[in-house]
Amino acid sequence: MSPGSWLLGGALGHLAGMLASRRASRLWLPATLAGTVAALVAALLILGGDSPWDWRSGFSVAGDPLHLRLDGLSAFFLVLVTIVVGGGAVYSRAYWTDAAHPRSAAAGRAWWNALALSLGFVLVAANGLHFLLGWELFTLAAYFLITLDRQRGEVRAAGWLYLGASHVGTLALFAFFAGLAAQTGGWELGPMRERTELAPLFWLALFGFGLKSGMFPLHIWLPSAHANAPSHVSAILSGVTIKLGIYGLARFTGWLPVPAAAGWTIAILGVASAVLGVAFALGQHDLKRLLAYHSVENIGIILIGLGFAVVAAGQGTDAAGWGQLALAGGLLHVWNHGLFKALLFLGAGSVLHATGTREMSRLGGLWRAMPWTASLFGLGAIAISGLPPLNGFVSEWLVYLGLFDATRSAGPVAWAVVPAAILLGMTGALALACFVKVCGVVFLGAPRSAAAAHAHECGPAMRGPMLLLAGGCVAIGLAPVWVWPAVAQAVGTWAPAWAGLAAPPSLAVLGWTHLALAALAVTGVVALRRRTGRQPVPRHVTWDCGYAAPAARMQYTAGSFAAIITEWFDWILRPVRHAQAPDTPFPAQASCTSHTPETVLEHVVTPVGGAVMRLSAAARRLQHGRLEAYLLYLLVGIAALAVIVATDVGQ
Amino acid sequence: MIVFLEFVARLVGWLVLAPLLPGIINKVKAWVGGRRGPPVLQLYYDLARLWQKGVVLSTLVSPGFIAGPAVAWVAVLGAALLLPLGPVGAGLSFRGDVLLLIYLLALARFCTAWAAMETGSAFEGMGAAREVSYAVLAEAAIITAVLALCVHSGSVSLATMLNPAAGAGAVLLAAGLFAVLLAENCRVPFDDPNTHLELTMIHEVMILDHSGPPLAAILHGASIKLLLFATLLVEAVVPLGGLSRPAAAGVLAAGVLVVTVGVGLVESLLARLAFRRVPLLLTTAFLLCLFALLVAWKGGAA
Repeated sequence: MSPGSWLLGGALGHLAGMLASRRASRLWLPATLAGTVAALVAALLILGGDSPWDWRSGFSVAGDPLHLRLDGLSAFFLVLVTIVVGGGAVYSRAYWTDAAHPRSAAAGRAWWNALALSLGFVLVAANGLHFLLGWELFTLAAYFLITLDRQRGEVRAAGWLYLGASHVGTLALFAFFAGLAAQTGGWELGPMRERTELAPLFWLALFGFGLKSGMFPLHIWLPSAHANAPSHVSAILSGVTIKLGIYGLARFTGWLPVPAAAGWTIAILGVASAVLGVAFALGQHDLKRLLAYHSVENIGIILIGLGFAVVAAGQGTDAAGWGQLALAGGLLHVWNHGLFKALLFLGAGSVLHATGTREMSRLGGLWRAMPWTASLFGLGAIAISGLPPLNGFVSEWLVYLGLFDATRSAGPVAWAVVPAAILLGMTGALALACFVKVCGVVFLGAPRSAAAAHAHECGPAMRGPMLLLAGGCVAIGLAPVWVWPAVAQAVGTWAPAWAGLAAPPSLAVLGWTHLALAALAVTGVVALRRRTGRQPVPRHVTWDCGYAAPAARMQYTAGSFAAIITEWFDWILRPVRHAQAPDTPFPAQASCTSHTPETVLEHVVTPVGGAVMRLSAAARRLQHGRLEAYLLYLLVGIAALAVIVATDVGQ
Repeated sequence: MIVFLEFVARLVGWLVLAPLLPGIINKVKAWVGGRRGPPVLQLYYDLARLWQKGVVLSTLVSPGFIAGPAVAWVAVLGAALLLPLGPVGAGLSFRGDVLLLIYLLALARFCTAWAAMETGSAFEGMGAAREVSYAVLAEAAIITAVLALCVHSGSVSLATMLNPAAGAGAVLLAAGLFAVLLAENCRVPFDDPNTHLELTMIHEVMILDHSGPPLAAILHGASIKLLLFATLLVEAVVPLGGLSRPAAAGVLAAGVLVVTVGVGLVESLLARLAFRRVPLLLTTAFLLCLFALLVAWKGGAA
């Protein structure tokens, strides 16, 4: 069977799922999963070396014949879409049930299929008009998924912000595709690198796709949307839909010529996103909001890879070596981030499901009640911190290799990669700090509230998808050469000159080293456990300087854990602190709270928006409904015209 | 067979020699202070005793409390095996191994901090927070030092990177790496391994609730890490590549001894810094490495 028929099967599966979502909800999951697996097969066929699938319809949609195309790059992203769509679908059956959410569960299922269909359609569309249609559809589907629980005000506010910001981005994409169509004479998309006059359009694409991908400082919509959506939706938003922004950037930097500054701009924005994303994450007290900011960080790492690849592509064959490594690392990080971020959001969903709160200061000690969730979340934390032997390290390692190799090239690149590499290293250390904080505060220690004390483990339907995603993280970490052909296909599609890229020989060695380390670590843990378990282990209360009555509230909090680092980033985090100092020798009340608002939103976008609104309100005074004033406007207008004509100013 | 034997010899060397370093440091401190001090082999006795002992666990801890030290120990040992020993080379060498070494040390840090958070103690949370926060700056300095070596040697593999050492920028790099060594191994002026006042500690406070074999794993891992940093420092500064095997081994051993005595002297003569100053000193270390990088560049261009 050709990739086309598998794709058709995938689409039919999701359409059937959509039909079944309300009336025959039992059939929804099989239909959705069947469709997802079919689409996965199509993508794997292309990545396995099949020639790209290209199809044109005899009929036309919205004035143009349908032109679909699945090549190495789109298939690479399609694999991620199918895995998270499938995993999220299974998870949602236990997480967003008809019993718990009678008003929105069925709608959630239908929109899930709609989102999957429109994501797939964007990936295969090879016509600007249809690309835009798919883009708008997936934006709307995501909006309805975010606002499934729209009884809550904060959910509505987050959805509104998402919708507004997305449409600002879509506006830029309208201009981009319209400009493209105006200059090429048609909506058809494809490689056109030789048409150098198209290069300035890149800036529109950067804004539109960059906003969707959540790069700093266009990420303002991302934290609240990802935090307030149901967790399986957060997983697909963070794991997949923001990657569509990366897909757009990669697609059109590959197909179209770019201005000379393009690669540099992407790389600089990438570095800024990476460092500031993790800095903002450290300041958060809301588990899901924190994870959302880590998406900004990881998008930054991907953009560093992509940005330097664009720079390398513009420098000819000498730069190809490190450019390929950077691009391969960036693209592999797309998969990796999709896997571990979806895993972490599903884990956060299990915590939310079990305790009813995302507030880290009310959690703690959950490992006892939720050992599966705690261990899988811990695995995801190691992966996202970029630590060996898991997948996050593999992709960061490839990006690092590209950057280190670039230090030996001629020109400004050699200088520019130094701060990029150093800041990438600092980003890794900051992410590690942040995830020690999250795991420590949420899963370890003593429960900080009754809700956390009475938590329960999630069921197998929620555990299964997490195990699948964790398995993906482990597999890519231990056997990175297995996924290399897929990455090489995507790299070769992006730059045909780089096609047939062989895996770096040390990648296989790295994989074996990871395997050996994992085996050694397991042996070490088993040995130490057996050694300590020789005799009965007395348990005693944690030693706190001899204090007689330790309480859960005495534990270190998320805010105090991150305080050293957030102080370094005070200049941009602008945390808000409310403190009531103890006033008497025997104080009855004292408190201290702090929270980190979204700086760009509150200090840039909101004031600018306010100014625009005030100007509009002032202009509105002209419009008051009094006829005599309107006649006056007419008179003044005609008089002005007469003056212009009489004095020949117009000529 | 030869390869296997050599690997075993290397492994045994790291495991057996590492606990010597803290003993030497303590001897130097005692000598400067005019005391007799504990025997040089004290840490061996401590490790043997701890390995025989049972453990007491906090009521709050999960199995991760014991798994953490084990994984951290494996990670540090793995990092040590990646480090080449002069002309003998490394246990395993490949392009990009230097990054694996840095990130294995980070994995060890993650596991130690995780185990510290297990107990729910405010002290241990405090120590873990300090450890992971200051590591951000230390990481920047190490990456810069590695970049300097990479630019100077034109390689991303430790074996070829350390053969010519750092060249003209060696003094700067040595100063920077020495500061990083002190910070990463929790020595004065960043941390005081002897104090028992929890509020002022970083590393020691994280392991307050550990006892018995897990504590032995932590102490042994810490000594391997110290030896690793001392070796790396010597190799980054002294070009061992041109020497014969015995000469290189002698120079390396002498260099490590000098660094160890240096740590002891710093510990005897300096006071611990106030915590506010720690980032400043680490930033200085980073700048020293950055200047070494610039020197390496200049050398390459000339």
